[in-house]
Amino acid sequence: MSAGFHIVVCGSLVPDPLQTLEPIRGPQGPGLKNEMMLPAILDPWAGHALFEAANLAASGGKVWLLSMGPKAKLQQVMMSVAQKAPFELVVLDGPAGGFTDAHFTARALAEAIEGIAGLDRSRLLLFGGWQSASRGAGSTLQMVGERLGVLDQFQGVDEIRVQDDGAFVVKERVEGGGYLVSRCAGPPAVLGWATGNLPEPPNNPQLGMANMRLIMPALQRAEPVPAEPGGLSFASVELPKARRETRLVKDLPPAEVAADILAWIKS
Amino acid sequence: MEKVLFLAHNEEGGGLSRACLEALSAARDLAQGLGAELAVGLFGGEVSGAAEAIGGCGAACFLAAAGPVFASSRYASDAAACEALCRASGAGLVVAAADSRLSRVLPGVAQRLGGRIDTHLTGLWVKDGSPAAARWFYRQRMVAEFTRSERPWLMSVESGCFEAFDGPGAVEPEPVAVDLSEACKRTEVLGLETPSADEQTIRPDAELLFVAGAGWTKKQADGRTHVKEAEGLILDFLNRTKASLGSSKSLVDISGEGHEVISYLTHLHQVGQTGATPRHPKGLAACCHGEEPHVVGWRFIGERRAINLDAGCGWAQGKADVLYVADAFEVLARLNELLARA
Amino acid sequence: MSASPGSRDQEMERQSMDADIVCVGFGPATAGFLTTLCRGLAEAGAAAESAVMPGMPPQVLCYERAEDIGFGVSGVVTRARGIRASFPDLDLSRIPMAAEVGSEKVVYLLDPVGASRRSPALRLIERLIPRGRKDHAFELPWIPSFLRKEPGLVLSLGQFCQWVGGQVMASGLAQIWPGVPVAGPLFADGRVSGVRLADQGVDRQGRPEAGHMPGMDLRAALTVVGDGPVGPVGRAIDERLGLPAGHHRREWAVGMKMVVDLPEDCPLEPGAVLHTLGYPEPEIFGFLYVYPENTASLGIFVPSWFDNPARTAYRYLQHWMLHPYLWRYLKGGRLRSWGAKSLQESGRAGEPFLVGDGYARIGEGSGSTNVLTGSGVDEAWTTGVQLAEAVLELMAEKRPFSAENLERTYVARRRASWVEAGARRAAKARDGFQRGVLSGLVGMALAGLSGGALNWPGRSRRPHERIPSLEDYCRGLIPAEDLAALRRECAAKGAALHDAVMDRLGWPEIPFDGRLLVSHQDALLLGGKVQAPAGYADHVVFKDPSVCAACGTRTCVEACSGQAITPGPEGGAPLFDREKCVHCGACLWNCSQADPDDPEASNIEFRAGAGGLHSAEN
Ligand SMILES: Cc1cc2nc3c(=O)[nH]c(=O)nc-3n(C[C@H](O)[C@H](O)[C@H](O)COP(=O)(O)OP(=O)(O)OC[C@H]3O[C@@H](n4cnc5c(N)ncnc54)[C@H](O)[C@@H]3O)c2cc1C
Ligand SMILES: Cc1cc2nc3c(=O)[nH]c(=O)nc-3n(C[C@H](O)[C@H](O)[C@H](O)COP(=O)(O)OP(=O)(O)OC[C@H]3O[C@@H](n4cnc5c(N)ncnc54)[C@H](O)[C@@H]3O)c2cc1C
Ligand code: SF4
Ligand code: SF4
Repeated sequence: MSAGFHIVVCGSLVPDPLQTLEPIRGPQGPGLKNEMMLPAILDPWAGHALFEAANLAASGGKVWLLSMGPKAKLQQVMMSVAQKAPFELVVLDGPAGGFTDAHFTARALAEAIEGIAGLDRSRLLLFGGWQSASRGAGSTLQMVGERLGVLDQFQGVDEIRVQDDGAFVVKERVEGGGYLVSRCAGPPAVLGWATGNLPEPPNNPQLGMANMRLIMPALQRAEPVPAEPGGLSFASVELPKARRETRLVKDLPPAEVAADILAWIKS
Repeated sequence: MEKVLFLAHNEEGGGLSRACLEALSAARDLAQGLGAELAVGLFGGEVSGAAEAIGGCGAACFLAAAGPVFASSRYASDAAACEALCRASGAGLVVAAADSRLSRVLPGVAQRLGGRIDTHLTGLWVKDGSPAAARWFYRQRMVAEFTRSERPWLMSVESGCFEAFDGPGAVEPEPVAVDLSEACKRTEVLGLETPSADEQTIRPDAELLFVAGAGWTKKQADGRTHVKEAEGLILDFLNRTKASLGSSKSLVDISGEGHEVISYLTHLHQVGQTGATPRHPKGLAACCHGEEPHVVGWRFIGERRAINLDAGCGWAQGKADVLYVADAFEVLARLNELLARA
Repeated sequence: MSASPGSRDQEMERQSMDADIVCVGFGPATAGFLTTLCRGLAEAGAAAESAVMPGMPPQVLCYERAEDIGFGVSGVVTRARGIRASFPDLDLSRIPMAAEVGSEKVVYLLDPVGASRRSPALRLIERLIPRGRKDHAFELPWIPSFLRKEPGLVLSLGQFCQWVGGQVMASGLAQIWPGVPVAGPLFADGRVSGVRLADQGVDRQGRPEAGHMPGMDLRAALTVVGDGPVGPVGRAIDERLGLPAGHHRREWAVGMKMVVDLPEDCPLEPGAVLHTLGYPEPEIFGFLYVYPENTASLGIFVPSWFDNPARTAYRYLQHWMLHPYLWRYLKGGRLRSWGAKSLQESGRAGEPFLVGDGYARIGEGSGSTNVLTGSGVDEAWTTGVQLAEAVLELMAEKRPFSAENLERTYVARRRASWVEAGARRAAKARDGFQRGVLSGLVGMALAGLSGGALNWPGRSRRPHERIPSLEDYCRGLIPAEDLAALRRECAAKGAALHDAVMDRLGWPEIPFDGRLLVSHQDALLLGGKVQAPAGYADHVVFKDPSVCAACGTRTCVEACSGQAITPGPEGGAPLFDREKCVHCGACLWNCSQADPDDPEASNIEFRAGAGGLHSAEN
């Protein structure tokens, strides 16, 4: 029955993780300094969701990648992502930054999903990262799910196992390094992925070429999403200032270092 | 006038988790600052124990959505329960802990109520007569203070940011009816998979976080790796100190890629930009170099010390209180001896 | 057919695909090529048809090794003659970090610390320089026209390439795929028939592992080789076909740079251009170009004819920044970006066969860089434009991409252009440096002012023939027994020698400030954002470990721009850590020993690899 999943993966771009980030205040509220210049990647957890989706759909079904972000940046990021997994891209030309209200993002995404031609909502698995690396809220997918009337939702997912009858078993991360294991009768469902179990797939140029046939038109078609005035207002955004005075302990024999540490642990 | 609802679920044993007790403090402070009424909404299998644990919190009302269907953490039933509690309370502000169960359900509840949500708050206070909150963005790289005008406004607060509330008292919560359709039961919770006691190396309540880096698997001065030895040293240390284990990404990635590995490490241990940012009073890092953005893995650790052969260690310089320039293998071996004697 | 390095994948199926044109690398050369080609294809409309997918426009693919386009490294100040010809209505506000050249200065830096090695002749001349300057520098009163860049642009190569790349991709007429190293050319029936991509899912030695995917073969009627100064595809073609008689590639330099947020009170204006010589060593040239918004691109060039076996660009870069003349501008600044890259400085003398059946060479790898004016970007761009014009012409005539046809269209255009004229003027301009700095400078001036008619001759030697032992280099400065002790200490720590040697030679300690003056590792992390994806083989390989074991002058370790090459255990080859490599290619020519089988080559093999810098500002 996995042959039938229609998987929509919600995922946008975030700055490449090693970039230096600095907040600035713009006319539309806070943002990142040089945001358009920072190299970007697909949000890592959404990336895991995409790889898991492709893996599930390998035996049948279909994957859409739904991305809201600045079009020019998305075009660039897609050149990397397109080589990783087969999907059809749906683009919303809108903000991808962390300071955008998740409520706004969720509405835009839900409306886009409702507009996907050929999507069978009874077979829908809505995938995404359990948090974004920008907002880090972990709330967008649930709201998209609610808007689409999906009542079976899972977050912090590291594994999905599909059973013969079309039901699937899901493992979600819980406190203390444990997993909550649930069985869901079948789609539709929402799964917010943590790391999952799959390694990052290699770059497959042929896959990239195949995806590209649909990616460029999708980018060209992308409609700007009008900003929505909301009640969220930022008083400040700051980098943490604290730089600690690091005391260097050198040339001490290991036994003395150990004693020092022990005294500190016990203190 | 604003009304603040504290929303929580009971623990397996019947009480409230530390994270929930901390969130209650946040809710109380908020209500107090606003001069607002505090309400408590509890859901779960059996909530009377939880209610009693906080009976003295001064809430004007205690609401409960309890019963076996709510015993385990399932989105659909949790959402129905929370929605009912919020509606019954009529609160415009809802405060809860950002634990796994509530983090999963609250955004959906906000959507149902036509409200908004902000999660993982690290600060919550009253400014100019309105609630104001702080949270981190871009994986703990920058912190923002903000407020919002929409109601209901649901908020989840991070653990470790508020004192846990302590004030039991006898109360009889008022049951709230929840309309649970069959559609809410398509998911069946099979149970919890917890690592066995031997492998139990993530301990959120531990005093100390031990962060292991890829250095443990690198060639040492003798030109060889000593991974098995590292594995033993670290586990021994954790068992003796009951410290929690965290790891750099490099180290868990190595563990996943078929090299000689530290067997009990998984991606759940990863701290840093794409890992966890746990909160513990103390942290000890060994053999980590890391990179600026990833050192956020111990941003919320109180006192920090590090062991590295390299005095220029990026994980420590400017970020740790003390950097021991030493061989972590030797130090840990001695430390374990001392711990054994103590 | 050239097999991809290290592959033992006979049992796995290798994919293959057909395209019309395949390009290797996306630097300014390929950027110029694709910009011109896509415009031409758009104009031609249905008239331009793919041979491999009839009914479709020609399938044009470009593979770039780095993980994004714009992760390259350059200066850049340029006269932008070719670039402006391609964009007559160029609006600089659309390219971040671009500005018109404002002021230009050439500055001779004296040695304020007394640790550099200056020949007696140079010392003598320095005495003639007006004294009493507290910033230890001398601004040349006049800049020779051949060095002038006015009217010109200062750019960030990364931002410029991203800007161009975005437009090329949006045209839909070419695809640029980043993160895909090309392992080598494919040869069939005596012609270049396409390229093979690097294997993935392999261990460091190239042996298949989980997720193994042999690199795909791409067959194309035309392979455009724009892989830069150290590109493995161009070098593989050279190995197979040799270089034209009398040509060689023995002169190199590594350019190491930073992008810096200047301090708030910095008086430098956007478009200001500074060139320095004289310090930290007379052989090391420096540059500082000012971008809008109080940022600057700055760095140094360490050439192959600087006979210091412990030549560390990073430490020298810091001493250069700390020179009082520069430090007064930089103090209080903050590191934004960092990077390094080789420059092919043989110029016209290093020109390979520009075309052959099925392939054409463009950019620095084709010898386009002008070594007299220190200009490579505009030249690379222009050779790309010339090739695109030729390709459009041949497509319209429906003629094949044969050596003869490419010669008639592309090479002829190039020979008739300003790029060639400049290259000829520059051809012997740097020969004097083979003998010393002074003769080099005089030679450059002679060639520059006489339009190439005059020069200071110098016999070119292979880098490994030049590199002296450390003992020789330090003779009279560090007693042999002290040097031996330093060697022992560093070996015990597994560290390179250069810091210990420079300390001993009187270079002051660098006062790290955590902002601009940071450790080499932190420059990699904070500035270069260096990272490498898993699943690729090591691209730096020590050919004959026994040669390394016997090598007493491990320049590869000393000169490595990323501290990616470390001494390793005694009696073996050095160790290479691909996660720190910035793909500067300096190791290729910073080896003190010859390849036992090829005197023109060294004992290091530099292959196609993934990862490296993740900054788009350099
Ligand atoms: C998309 C992405 C996301 C990432 N997210 C994260 C993240 O969330 N968290 C994270 O940590 N990293 C993350 N990284 C990886 C990060 O870039 C670094 O690679 C990683 O943090 C480095 O790990 P390390 O410090 O363990 O290893 P290394 O950098 O290899 O450092 C090893 C250290 O061990 C020391 N050492 C060796 N032997 C000894 C000894 N005997 N005694 C004492 N010291 C010794 C060495 O001196 C060295 O400093 C991410 C990378 C990417 C690309
Ligand atoms: C520090 C520094 C400062 C400089 N300053 C100036 C200046 O001020 N003005 C000026 O005009 N010039 C300057 N130059 C020179 C100039 O940068 C070069 O001449 C120019 O970049 C050459 O362009 P190119 O397109 O030929 O090659 P490159 O820019 O080298 O581009 C080649 C591309 O091919 C890619 N590639 C390589 N191998 C492979 C492979 N196997 N598979 C796929 N892709 C591959 C590379 O990643 C790269 O992106 C400077 C250079 C340096 C290093
Ligand atoms: S690579 Fe060259 S310089 Fe380095 S150790 Fe080997 S022979 Fe010596
Ligand atoms: S190993 Fe990498 S960083 Fe070092 S010199 Fe070679 S190419 Fe440059």
